Amino acid sequence: MKALCWMGSNNVEVQTVDDPTILNPHDAIVKITRTAICGSDLHLFDGFIPTMEEGDILGHEFMGVVEETGKGVTNLQRGNRVVVPFTIACGNCEFCKKKIWSACDNTNPNAHLMEAAYGYSGSGLFGYSHMMGGYAGGQAQYVRVPFANVGPLKIETDLPDEKVLFLSDIFPTGYMAAENAQIQENDTVAVWGCGPVGQFAIASAFMLGAARVIAIDRLPERLELARSIGAITVDYSEEDVSVLTALKDLTGGIGPDSCIDAVGLEAHSAQLQGIYDKVKTALMLETDRPSVLRQAIQSVRKGGTVSIPGVYGGLLDKVPFGAAFGKGITMKMGQTNMHNYMKPLLERIEKGHIDPSYIISHRIKLEEAPDMYKIWRDKKEKVTKIVIDPWAA
Amino acid sequence: MSKALNEKPNAEPLPVAASAAVMLNGRYLPPPEDKDGKTWVRTSALIHADAQELYDMWRDVEAAPLWQEQIEKVTRTGQTTSHWVMQSGGKDKDTDNDEDKRKTIEWDSEILKDEPGHRIAWRSIGGESDNAGEVVFEASPGGRGTMVTVLQEFRMGKLASAWETITGRNPKQAIIENLRHLKALAETGEIPRTQGQPHGPRGIIARVKKSMYGEDTTTPPGLNRKAS
Repeated sequence: MKALCWMGSNNVEVQTVDDPTILNPHDAIVKITRTAICGSDLHLFDGFIPTMEEGDILGHEFMGVVEETGKGVTNLQRGNRVVVPFTIACGNCEFCKKKIWSACDNTNPNAHLMEAAYGYSGSGLFGYSHMMGGYAGGQAQYVRVPFANVGPLKIETDLPDEKVLFLSDIFPTGYMAAENAQIQENDTVAVWGCGPVGQFAIASAFMLGAARVIAIDRLPERLELARSIGAITVDYSEEDVSVLTALKDLTGGIGPDSCIDAVGLEAHSAQLQGIYDKVKTALMLETDRPSVLRQAIQSVRKGGTVSIPGVYGGLLDKVPFGAAFGKGITMKMGQTNMHNYMKPLLERIEKGHIDPSYIISHRIKLEEAPDMYKIWRDKKEKVTKIVIDPWAA
Repeated sequence: MSKALNEKPNAEPLPVAASAAVMLNGRYLPPPEDKDGKTWVRTSALIHADAQELYDMWRDVEAAPLWQEQIEKVTRTGQTTSHWVMQSGGKDKDTDNDEDKRKTIEWDSEILKDEPGHRIAWRSIGGESDNAGEVVFEASPGGRGTMVTVLQEFRMGKLASAWETITGRNPKQAIIENLRHLKALAETGEIPRTQGQPHGPRGIIARVKKSMYGEDTTTPPGLNRKAS
């Protein structure tokens, strides 16, 4: 089959590799019909994430048709259309039983690597680093899905792939961010980052009762998308715009009830602190650039909530913890517990409450993917979301 | 016990310790330190399975190759004795370097304590390994599954170096991994694996990383003998 492989920093290639086979009783093989490139794939592309190996197949947002099932899989049959969550969960451990699926104890064969680095291990992920299991990903024509009795969501209507594909990661991730933001009816919510996760966090904040959502970014195409679903936008790159002042101005001085950091570790900042973080990360004195997290803590109202779907990887510097304590804020974060959200969000799509395909800007063939990674990294075209048809010739 | 605190609706009586245990009379016991050429490892796992079922899996010594790394064959030689054969050169089929494939080390083992559903203790009785160990199965607080604690002791001999030099696994890590495999097998009926999945061409650096990350150690098959 054809698959997109990570071949080193800033180098991905389409390779012809073996077809996947059933290796364990709860495996399924899925023929992929649509797959997408995620912002976190860019972190892998540029070499920001350790424990990648040349030859790794990328991709964790995908859907397709079940081709074959292991003898332990009783809920799926050949021919079923499925969306596959990017986190792999066993369904039986202490954490799965608590519905903290992304903390599953039994799906990461390299748990010891993550334990050595972080002191704990989370679940295995598709198409990610070896610390996260090193599972082959779905930017390919076929994929092996372990624990297929637990994860895949069957699509039993004729909804097109593009409307349901994002149930594999970004829609549930944006939704959980809004849920973690503890939004009460008529709240004002600020969202940093208007990429795909930010977009779905904005949409979900409205669904959960927000009266007003303020969206913060610098890319015009993203801000336009945010306005298209009803957000007020703040372009932090404009001269004279201070995000902290803007959020005070837009909330009568008290700050947003909830702040959502949908940016994470590679935040850009035009201010002096941005340079400070760049220097410190370059010298390896700091791993992450937390300028958004700082702003979120500084601007949230007293007693408000900061929700963090953006990925952080290590040690953060100059986080205003005194303000966090003084205001008595709540912070909620973490990898998405996919399995809790896929079915209810599919129902919202079926009922027509939302059409997640509105974020797609590019539809490509697998052969075009290596160039698209570069174009997206360099922000050369107005990319909001790239969807791949791995069978298009 | 003190009467100072009367409100503890879910508190349970504290267990009296076995030697692998993590507490004695309400005090935490730290793991033993390595000394006099002996290496110790103590590791524990909370497993959602019945203590008796886990004991049975552990006690079925001939099934050990299904979930213990590098163990090629175990043969019962008596009520409490068994003969162990461990691969010291087995590698993942992905790697080309299998010149050591035939090398094995062997030893005999004897069970010293056998308390069904609760505890097993053993030691080696000759052969190329000097080791002893104990496993304790206890209901976890509040009945949330079974707490399994393993205490393993070995002298740095052929056994330890077989793990370390050939497979890239620190011998202590091998004990930790084996308990992890037992947990996955008991909770899900399989051991998670990536060996055998497709990938693009691996360069030299990727092969070095693979070995460094412990990915050259063959993941045990994990298949339940009853099912196969």
